Amino acid sequence: MSSSALARLLKPVAALPAAMSISDVADRLLTAEHKDFLSLPVVDDDGRPLGLVSRSKLQDIFMQRFGRDLWGRRPVVEVMNPQPLIVSLETGLEEAARQITGQLQYPITEDFVLVDGEGRYRGLGTVLDLLKAMEDRIAQRNRVLRKALIELRESQTQLVQAEKMASLGQMVAGVAHELNTPLGYVKNNVQLLRELIGPLFELAEAQAALGDCLNAADADEQALARALENAALARERAAPEMLAGDLEQLFADTQYGLEQIGELVVGLKDFARLDRAMSEEVDLNECVRSTLIIARNGIKDKVEVLTQLGELPRIACAPSQINQVLLNLLNNAAQAMERFGRILVKTWAEPDALCLSVQDNGCGMPPEVLKRIFDPFYTTKPVGQGTGLGLSISFKIVQDHGGSIRVASEVGRGTRFLIRLPLSQAATLQRSA
Amino acid sequence: MTQPIRILFIDDEERILRSLAMQFRRHYEVLTESDPQRALQRLQSEPVQIVVCDQRMPGMNGAQLLTRAQEIAPQTLRILLTGYSDLDAAVEALNGGGIFRYLTKPWDPQEMALTLRQAAEVAVRQSQVASLPASACPATALSVLLLDEAADTQACVEAFCQAGGHRLLRAYSLDEALAQLNAEPVDVLVSDLKLAGEDTAPLLKSLAQAHPRLLSLVVTPFCDTQALLKLINEAQIFRYLPKPVRRGLFDKGLQAAAEQVARWRAQPVVPPARLAEAPKEAREREKVGSLLGLLGRLRQRLTV
Repeated sequence: MSSSALARLLKPVAALPAAMSISDVADRLLTAEHKDFLSLPVVDDDGRPLGLVSRSKLQDIFMQRFGRDLWGRRPVVEVMNPQPLIVSLETGLEEAARQITGQLQYPITEDFVLVDGEGRYRGLGTVLDLLKAMEDRIAQRNRVLRKALIELRESQTQLVQAEKMASLGQMVAGVAHELNTPLGYVKNNVQLLRELIGPLFELAEAQAALGDCLNAADADEQALARALENAALARERAAPEMLAGDLEQLFADTQYGLEQIGELVVGLKDFARLDRAMSEEVDLNECVRSTLIIARNGIKDKVEVLTQLGELPRIACAPSQINQVLLNLLNNAAQAMERFGRILVKTWAEPDALCLSVQDNGCGMPPEVLKRIFDPFYTTKPVGQGTGLGLSISFKIVQDHGGSIRVASEVGRGTRFLIRLPLSQAATLQRSA
Repeated sequence: MTQPIRILFIDDEERILRSLAMQFRRHYEVLTESDPQRALQRLQSEPVQIVVCDQRMPGMNGAQLLTRAQEIAPQTLRILLTGYSDLDAAVEALNGGGIFRYLTKPWDPQEMALTLRQAAEVAVRQSQVASLPASACPATALSVLLLDEAADTQACVEAFCQAGGHRLLRAYSLDEALAQLNAEPVDVLVSDLKLAGEDTAPLLKSLAQAHPRLLSLVVTPFCDTQALLKLINEAQIFRYLPKPVRRGLFDKGLQAAAEQVARWRAQPVVPPARLAEAPKEAREREKVGSLLGLLGRLRQRLTV
């Protein structure tokens, strides 16, 4: 492809024999078909280039007094440039351009000679054509680069979205499973209540029958005795005084379970608020609480989470994004545990900012890992288990809020992330994907 | 039955424990623990026949606890009760904890009752004989039927058979497998879930009913929690080994199977401590039914 690129520049100009007279050369340069050229090639009998004779050189000669008379009959070899720019047709366009611009002298008075593989003259190329070809090529490159850039941006958006969906999906699956625990005992309790209540109805029925019997004017002693016995039996079976405690407990547990389920559902809703990108008055502590409800199920077998939530003024932020950052930090902390560990989440207010720290006593990170954790695609997890985007997205979210995220870590002791969200950033808040 | 069956429920949610205790206190002696460590201490100091354990608990997960429980009290029947469909946990609970059932939350009260009734039945049968220590059970030669053509599975099983002087039988289709099982006494089955394009799960489930003493080791490239759950509950498989097979794990599984068979041979009168659930799906139940018909000679031999 590149050799044909040079071939496209080739102009098959007839070469001059070495013995051609200078005035014949001058006449030829004046013809219309040669007007685009600055120079003409001179070749030997074998077709190998000897040099180039330029229009400017001939002009110099003819401008001298008696120039044409003095020089006109002499052979062209005497005035040609014996060291012209010679480029093989097999050279690539870029390499040719490099050679030519490297040797070109100002002002440009000559063209360049194109030769074949054997070094025989094939034609001339002009510097102007070469520049045009280079320009085209650069324009083409630019188009390719621009397209690549657009594709890259698209795939970046997709990846960010994928990470968001992955963490959201993980969370939803976790919460769905978390619901199974309260569902488990609530379902069982309702069944138990149904079974326990049966004998109570029987007791009520037996006592009603006894009452009827007592009120009936014509009741005989035998029927009364039977009704009494039935009522006593039913009472024994139902054992209402024993039942009271059980029923109380079952109702209390069932109610608690339903509240638990409700709390999880509300937490899920609060957490996900995907549509409400921005909110003016957000309580950061609420974000921490709803994220903890959501994160709890996934991490409870690995860590205990402690909170020290200070009194905070409300802040303008995108709560679902802050939740995403928090969930990411909590999950990372839980995964850093080699044994059952502890996470401390703290919030406090400073005069100009809100601070939130997530500290764990997990395995910590060595400096070489620490300095790369915010890099996109950097992950210490096995292939396929992490996108490597969690923290880089967290970083961007905090940055978009005008805040900062910092990290300190020590191998074997744990890691602490500190997020600062400035209070007066409402105006500079950016909306982000 | 002189002594009541004792069931230990373990869950970090007290309300689960209360609910289960209330459901079963009339039929069994119910113990509950919300702390895994205390549960293990209890197993060490008191007789317990059935352990029902949650998977996700702070400090120790259910699979780990049941593995420890098997070491402390091998006679217990171990059941995992979990709200999470977690394949690793199920594999660990089966391979390490030798679980009897894998149940999911929320559970169906009737089904839970049935499962515990089956476990109790096995426990009663077990309690009728003293368990023999491994040292009292001399190693014996087994018959191993291999239903997998993969080279690495074959290499592992061949090496195991050669080292232990066991007899290796092969079958390359379900029909051949049925013929082998009808003709030969088989102690251990090593099978992929696919054999010559056919699903082997119904065969495994049929065998769990026809030949409860046959120990099935499943080697499979598939990782499906639901399928594994059914293999545990309905086929009572002995091990689940993901492909590509890990040699060490595979050897340990085969070794454990050999020890189990040796223990049973040392006390031939005991009914085995295994009882599979009938498949829940109607089509599968039908298939298992017809396979049971085809295994007639095997069943005849076993009942004699």
